[in-house]
Amino acid sequence: MTAGTDTVGKETVPAGSDTATRAGSTRGRLVLKGIHKALGGKEVVRGIDLTMEPGEFLTLLGPSGCGKSTTLNMVAGHLLPDSGVVEVDGRDITRLPANRRAMGMVFQSYALFPHMTVAENIAFGLRMRKVGAARRRRRAAEALELVGLDGMGERYPRQLSGGQRQRTALARALIVEPDLLLLDEPFSNLDAQLRVRLREEVAALQRRVGTTTILVTHDQDEALAVSDRIAVMAEGAIHQLDVPETVYLRPATDFVAQFVGEVNVLDGVAAGAAAEGHRCWIGDTHLVTATPVGTAPGDGEAVRLYVRPEAVRVLAIPEAVSGKGRSASTSAHTAAEPGLPGTVEATRFLGTRVRCVVATAAGRIEATLPFGSEVPGLGEEVICAWQPQHASLTARP
Amino acid sequence: MTTATETETATAASKPAGKPIAAGAGGRARRLLGAAFAALVGLFLLAPVLVTIASSLTTTSYVTFPPKGLTLHWYAELLNRPEFLDSFLLSIGVAAGAAVVSTALGLAAGLAIHRYPFPGKSVLDRLFSSAFAVPTIVLGIGLLQWYAQLGMASSPLTLLLAHLVLTVPYTVRLVLAGLAGLDRSAELAAAGLGAKAPQVFWHVTLPAVRGPLIAGAFFALITSFDDLTIALFVVTTDMQTLPVRIFNYLQYNYDPTVTAVGTVMVLFAAVAVVIIERVVGVAHLFGADPEH
Amino acid sequence: MAATARVADGTALSPDGSAPTPGVPKPVRKRGPWRTGLLLASPAIAVLALLFIAPLFMLVYNSFRTQAGDPTLHNYTRFLGDSFYRDVLWHTLWIGALTTLGCLVVGYPFAVYLRGRSPRARNYLSLVLLSPLLISMVTRAYGWLVLLGPKGPIADGFHALGLDAPKMLYNDTAVVVGMVHVMLAYMVLPLMGSLDRIDPALAPAAKGLGASGWTCFWRITVPLSLPGMLAGSLIVFSLTVSSFVTPAILGGPTVKLMPYFVYTEATSNLNWPYAAAIGFVLIVVTTILTAVYARLLRGRGGKEVFA
Repeated sequence: MTAGTDTVGKETVPAGSDTATRAGSTRGRLVLKGIHKALGGKEVVRGIDLTMEPGEFLTLLGPSGCGKSTTLNMVAGHLLPDSGVVEVDGRDITRLPANRRAMGMVFQSYALFPHMTVAENIAFGLRMRKVGAARRRRRAAEALELVGLDGMGERYPRQLSGGQRQRTALARALIVEPDLLLLDEPFSNLDAQLRVRLREEVAALQRRVGTTTILVTHDQDEALAVSDRIAVMAEGAIHQLDVPETVYLRPATDFVAQFVGEVNVLDGVAAGAAAEGHRCWIGDTHLVTATPVGTAPGDGEAVRLYVRPEAVRVLAIPEAVSGKGRSASTSAHTAAEPGLPGTVEATRFLGTRVRCVVATAAGRIEATLPFGSEVPGLGEEVICAWQPQHASLTARP
Repeated sequence: MTTATETETATAASKPAGKPIAAGAGGRARRLLGAAFAALVGLFLLAPVLVTIASSLTTTSYVTFPPKGLTLHWYAELLNRPEFLDSFLLSIGVAAGAAVVSTALGLAAGLAIHRYPFPGKSVLDRLFSSAFAVPTIVLGIGLLQWYAQLGMASSPLTLLLAHLVLTVPYTVRLVLAGLAGLDRSAELAAAGLGAKAPQVFWHVTLPAVRGPLIAGAFFALITSFDDLTIALFVVTTDMQTLPVRIFNYLQYNYDPTVTAVGTVMVLFAAVAVVIIERVVGVAHLFGADPEH
Repeated sequence: MAATARVADGTALSPDGSAPTPGVPKPVRKRGPWRTGLLLASPAIAVLALLFIAPLFMLVYNSFRTQAGDPTLHNYTRFLGDSFYRDVLWHTLWIGALTTLGCLVVGYPFAVYLRGRSPRARNYLSLVLLSPLLISMVTRAYGWLVLLGPKGPIADGFHALGLDAPKMLYNDTAVVVGMVHVMLAYMVLPLMGSLDRIDPALAPAAKGLGASGWTCFWRITVPLSLPGMLAGSLIVFSLTVSSFVTPAILGGPTVKLMPYFVYTEATSNLNWPYAAAIGFVLIVVTTILTAVYARLLRGRGGKEVFA
């Protein structure tokens, strides 16, 4: 099972604890301040503010045209921002040309030089830095070993598989010991299996060498699997910037909720803070809890809830009342925990999971039950419940 | 009786097996027919050249094919005709000039069209493709009158300039094809790895168009070297390129000297073709297994 | 008011991934966005403007002048009013049409044959195909003089069979043979291009639906290769009617085509305006004819083929 697609089982980690500076990384603190950029008369980046700690792995996630690649190219120095500041380790590099920055970039097409061997490709950055031939050779051999391409140095890019080209590009970017490693959709030209394997390898390698890394991707699985933090972008702005668990379970906006996976959307009215999270009325009679994103809403304010199907637990009513005995859910449940009652309308076996559709007074709610759970029968009266930290509460747009 | 039965069984048994054999034979016949046709077309295409080469070796004082006897007499005869040597030197000089100039112009224009916006770019692009289509005879007479208008006397330079109209469109086209095959992010990658603009051009851009440039140069060389139509209008009796010399010689003479000159020109073209083929091959093999 | 928003897996959702755009924006150079381009292109622009456009304008301008330089329509009225020159025009177009037809008849099967060959064989055959274009037209025409001459190998062949050899030199036949020889590549290359674009699964699909090999060829291969035929025919026709050297050498004194008169008027008679007018008539008539031909073929081939 790939990480990220099913995060319910995992403990949610509070923001910050996993983004701690990697051992040994003191270099590569990136700050973006108020970056704007128009291309072809259209504003594609509208005010990006971002701070990355040394050694952090951050992903810019978003659909095509959201400005994520443009942002990356401004960090790399291939594009000049219309306004705003790019800083690395406190130095303003906004107007520094690409060849005088220390960025290692891996392109979607890998951008290998077709007329150079793999070793020559990898050593190119050193050659530009006037490193001697003997040293270049040694360093290239080391870099090849680092990415698992030992002995492939004399081949030409055309003779490599997609994965090998990708690794070559990675080695070429890393050999110059860059301040930042910039990955522009590096896995999108690979087949599904290889993509998963290579992204794990890249994530492991990044943790080993500790280079601050930005990954640009449109693939939410990839972002969830490898990142310390994810910045979800749409229309040139960051919608949410947080650790993967939070982005997944507590999306801040409609866009984030729908882009990062499947989601149940519930509209309600805020009803005051609870011990955990915040209460909210769904319809007139049902009270549920969720965790507010940002400032908590005032009582009576219109709010919107996002709950992932994986976070929804389907509980048989007697048990829900007694809190004991037969339960469709694997985890414990107390009668005090609020929920939405409804009728099981459909169940679908999905191999590793079971999808259950419950018709409630507030509409259909979809729940994904983990493998091995007892599946409620059709027409059975149930309650849909979730832990407050598994649902997000936002002001209704 | 037994024989009859045996024959019958044999026929019956061979029937199902017979069909694919028949189809195979038909396929082979068709393949043979195709190969024979292709060989005929090949012969048709090569015959004039082969005949020219062969008849340059004849011992007779008139042109004949097949040649009677074998001699290099007519090549020796060429050395006694300084006008052919002069014409050859003129032709090769103009051709080399046209090759160098049109390669440089083609590279610059190709780069401009491929990656820079500038006013009139689409017009230029279209002009380069339409320059192929204008009849050379019309271009020749147009140039004749235009040079006269400008008061430019006939010289190797005017001929070289005229040939640029024939060659530059090809070099531009070749360079554009080369640049189209270049991944733009490879240049960005090089810059990101510390290469300054001239280094990016030298290490990444130029290698991508090296093949097209060499092929374009040699194509320009033989186009200019072989041109007759334009040259007929631009040259004078004192200054005749080799094709013009042969053309005029042919009006009054019919001896194997011409076939010897023709053979020399064919060999010259063949060298250029081999080089173009090699280079284009190299371009094709970029990144391919060197052992292949 | 609950709604279930269903979003498919990220991969399917994002159009971003399905279309691997190069995605790398071109660096925008702030100063003089087009100055560099214009600077790089200027030598080539100068060549085209001064050595291509200017001479052609000169030509058109001169064609409306007398030799003294006064404006006149005489050059055109003289050409069109004289049945001799009208016949020359017809003869030129006729030779052009015959050459185009010859190239199609020889070139189409050749292109079909090339289609089925290995890349290596294709490479060599293409080189043979292009060889006439790469050698001097004088050499080429001279070779045909020898081949087609009364004592040439073809005539010898006739004699060996006890037959009288037909006259093969200094007539239309010689010109058309010589022209097909040079022009064949211009027909075959576009044909190969459009044959290559035909989906190789179409023929088996048609055969699976019961079409025979021939039906398949006529109903699928031929219609789908019409664009190549069209392009090839247009190039061959326009280049043939404006050819000077090959008809001049192989046509001898009897076959005199338009380019011949352009040449003699310009160099022997020194009547530049008239030479210009003949050249211009040639361009205009060729342009009109090729446009009509393109439209006719387009009508038959159906829009989808040319879309």
